[in-house]
Amino acid sequence: MRRLLIGLAALLPSIAMAGEIIDSAGRRVAIPDRIEKVFAAGGPASILLYVLAPELMTGWPRRPREEEKPFIASPYRDLPEVGMLTGRGGSANLETVIRVKPDVILDFGSVKETYVSLANATQQQIGIPYLLIDGRFEATAASLRLLGAALGKSERAEQLALYVEAQLTAVDAAIAQVPATRRPRVYLARGPDGLETGVAGSINTEIIERAGGRNVVEATEGQRGLVRASIEQVIVANPDAIITWDRGFYERAGHDPLWREVKAVREGRLYLSPTAPFGWIDRPPSVNRIMGLVWLAGIFYPQQFPKDLRDQVREFYKVFYQVTPDDKELDGLIAWSKGTAPPRR
Amino acid sequence: MVERHGTAETIAASPHSRPGIVVALAALLVLVMTSAVLVGAYPVSPGELIGTLGRFVGGAPRAGQIDTVLLEVRFPRIGAAALAGASLAAAGATYQGLFRNPLVSPDILGVSTGAGLGAVLGIFLSLPVAAIQALAFFGGLATVALVYVVAAAVREREPTLVLVLSGVVIGSLTGAAIALLKVLADPYDQLPAITFWLLGSLASIRKHDVLLAMPLVLLGLMPLVLLRWRINVMSLGDEEAKALGLEAGRLRMIIIAAATLVTSSVVAISGVIGWVGLVIPHIARMLVGPNFDRLLPASMLLGATYMVLVDTLARTIARVETPLGILTAIIGAPFFLWLLARGRRGWE
Amino acid sequence: MSGLPAAMAARGLAIGYPGKEVGRDIDIEVRPGEVLCLLGPNGSGKTTLFKTLLGLIPARAGEVRFGDAQLGELSRAAVAQRVSYVPQAHAAHFPFLVADMVTMGRTAHLGLFDRPTREDRERARAALAELGIGALADTEYTRISGGQRQLVLIARALAQDAPVIVLDEPTASLDFGNQVLVLQRVRQLAEQGLAVVLSTHDPDHALGIASRVAFLNDGRLIATGSPREVLTSERLETVYGVGVRIVTLPGGQTLCAPDLGSARRLST
Repeated sequence: MRRLLIGLAALLPSIAMAGEIIDSAGRRVAIPDRIEKVFAAGGPASILLYVLAPELMTGWPRRPREEEKPFIASPYRDLPEVGMLTGRGGSANLETVIRVKPDVILDFGSVKETYVSLANATQQQIGIPYLLIDGRFEATAASLRLLGAALGKSERAEQLALYVEAQLTAVDAAIAQVPATRRPRVYLARGPDGLETGVAGSINTEIIERAGGRNVVEATEGQRGLVRASIEQVIVANPDAIITWDRGFYERAGHDPLWREVKAVREGRLYLSPTAPFGWIDRPPSVNRIMGLVWLAGIFYPQQFPKDLRDQVREFYKVFYQVTPDDKELDGLIAWSKGTAPPRR
Repeated sequence: MVERHGTAETIAASPHSRPGIVVALAALLVLVMTSAVLVGAYPVSPGELIGTLGRFVGGAPRAGQIDTVLLEVRFPRIGAAALAGASLAAAGATYQGLFRNPLVSPDILGVSTGAGLGAVLGIFLSLPVAAIQALAFFGGLATVALVYVVAAAVREREPTLVLVLSGVVIGSLTGAAIALLKVLADPYDQLPAITFWLLGSLASIRKHDVLLAMPLVLLGLMPLVLLRWRINVMSLGDEEAKALGLEAGRLRMIIIAAATLVTSSVVAISGVIGWVGLVIPHIARMLVGPNFDRLLPASMLLGATYMVLVDTLARTIARVETPLGILTAIIGAPFFLWLLARGRRGWE
Repeated sequence: MSGLPAAMAARGLAIGYPGKEVGRDIDIEVRPGEVLCLLGPNGSGKTTLFKTLLGLIPARAGEVRFGDAQLGELSRAAVAQRVSYVPQAHAAHFPFLVADMVTMGRTAHLGLFDRPTREDRERARAALAELGIGALADTEYTRISGGQRQLVLIARALAQDAPVIVLDEPTASLDFGNQVLVLQRVRQLAEQGLAVVLSTHDPDHALGIASRVAFLNDGRLIATGSPREVLTSERLETVYGVGVRIVTLPGGQTLCAPDLGSARRLST
């Protein structure tokens, strides 16, 4: 309690010179003029913050793995683990947040009522402004600009937002020429047995659909998000392409007689997504998915997107992650996206 | 010599006097399994089924995808469902007798949470499926062994009570370990896999899973079948069983080991499936009475039938899979309440 | 009859649980055809003594013998072939048929994986018939009265074909008529040559059917001998702390009449 009071007292001067911002949920949040520390409430928020203003970060929800570190700029790759404040498996406690003394707490994802009330309650309890930013893929550019304005990083936000919009426009233009029936039918294989997937329209697969793939798992009444499928259902759906990031599944499925019944596997269109420093298509669902958009569009429509993946990876990592991978690291990523993952470290 | 009067009504109402019922249950199982083969995402007609079976029996080469779907996917899956249902019901019936409590399920000594911890650890370490199954299997065995050892170390006059209590305690510790791993797991990658495993599913069953689990299940069922008369006597309680000439302690250990082997083997390939081991023995007891001689086969047949039905629902009611644990609870829990309300419960 | 060797004998027995002695220096024996009645107030150690005699808990000292065999050296099945046990009529958990319940008495004669044979089932039915409850064979044990249950458990013990039968307060919680019925049956068992040990609270039951009485108080045998010798009004008054008179009816039957308040008022 004493520490809480001291924490509150320490915050008082910055609150006194507050400005106001309207977040994605329509909440009016008073924020200090000078922001020096931001606490990201979860994985998606930490990546959004990292690409926009890494110098404001207080830590990672989960410490980056060794294989991920080369692709995160120094010194941010070595920031401590601070846990998660919201969402599944929340592990940060409020006292940790207070001790870190952030000027703002940031959450990036759903802006539904649950998260609004959570944000309000936390903000009231510990007296730190809590921003909710819309995490839908469609809203990426707008969300970048909104957060940029809130944190006083509008210039950087604009640069990233323009990049996102350019990619989206290019993809849209290319897909527009392809009738819906000619678009590839795609299955997202998750989990160690590849039988966990996301239904069409879910946050887990929206990047596939945005890149012009048709998710073979159509949503039935009452189902959203992740579901389980059976191998029989996958055989019947017979997708043209299968996307996964599970290395174990990728290695096994290629020579599994049952998965070989599926067109995608037979025709060598089972694709492994790299996950360093963050997943290309999900895990977590944040701005890292822009890389997946570029990659998938090239896979689905090689004629329309003839650009070399290597150049695009280098550019995206430079613009977003502010690292310049050397040739060896780039080779590693490209090989990974072609199915040769680095050894797990 | 034996007088028979005044009990005609009782006899008519008694489940003990229906010897044909086990045969009828067996016929029902065959019918349900045959029907289950014919439904699913991949359309199969009875003619095609006969064709596939003909090629299979005749040793002819496979003719296209339909043979693969039937022989590699659907048959193993229906077989696994029947195996899981029969095993869980057999273990449930055994434990209800052994612990003299009709509310006991095969999980009472922690086999499911132990298997769950093993599997969750496997998922957390990103191990391949076979390793996850192996960890689940040994997790179940190890947890029950630990419960048994702890209970044996506590010198008490009521060994079954101590067993149940240490089962509760260690089960709750195991549950805490699972929860810890869930918190530590990657929420966007491993956590969903953990959640799905704990809900149970036969979606990824392969022929080799069934071929691996089957001998272990049979090995566990054998003592239960052979000792079925003694399991009756054990249900009278420790003291009476001893006074009637049983080495109750040793027998209890054998029965627990056998039931644990059976449950662990199927949970390793199916994930946690609740309610079957609790509800099915009740229904079986209502149909054939408590004599384990008939209760064991009736429970196994009913359990297999029920599981094949539920799994068929799980793979057909939506375009994707419905977790088994959800279906068994949705069907099992209200049915169980209805049994309680109905009064005639097969136990006192 | 006293010429026969004891079917069961306990010498210098100390009884109790780990860390808690309940009684000691207990010597009792029972011969074929005898009814040994173990009498004592609540908490005197009757049940603990029975469990020790049956080998359900180990003796703390002394020994129990069945003829030449010593209890501690026998397997459970061998013990069950020598002594059968009738617990107090209990509510069963599962509705076994009476016939199945009685057939369970045959377990000690079956191999590890055996099921009862036709002979075993016939032996069970015969035991039921002997006790006059053959008609209950196909009824569920949970649906019969407490008195009937007690008789079924006695039938189970009979089916066990052991020369000694031990009954733990077989008349407790039965109504008057059933108490008499059960006592009659118990006496018949002894007349057929079984060695019977039963415990009871009620001195009248001991006076009624016992060949010999062992009076247990606070874990010690305070007297053994014929009912008349053991059950004196002084001894009963000492143990139970109430006034008692021993009365002999004109037919020769002996009864124990407690001194109730109304009796005292009548005498004044």
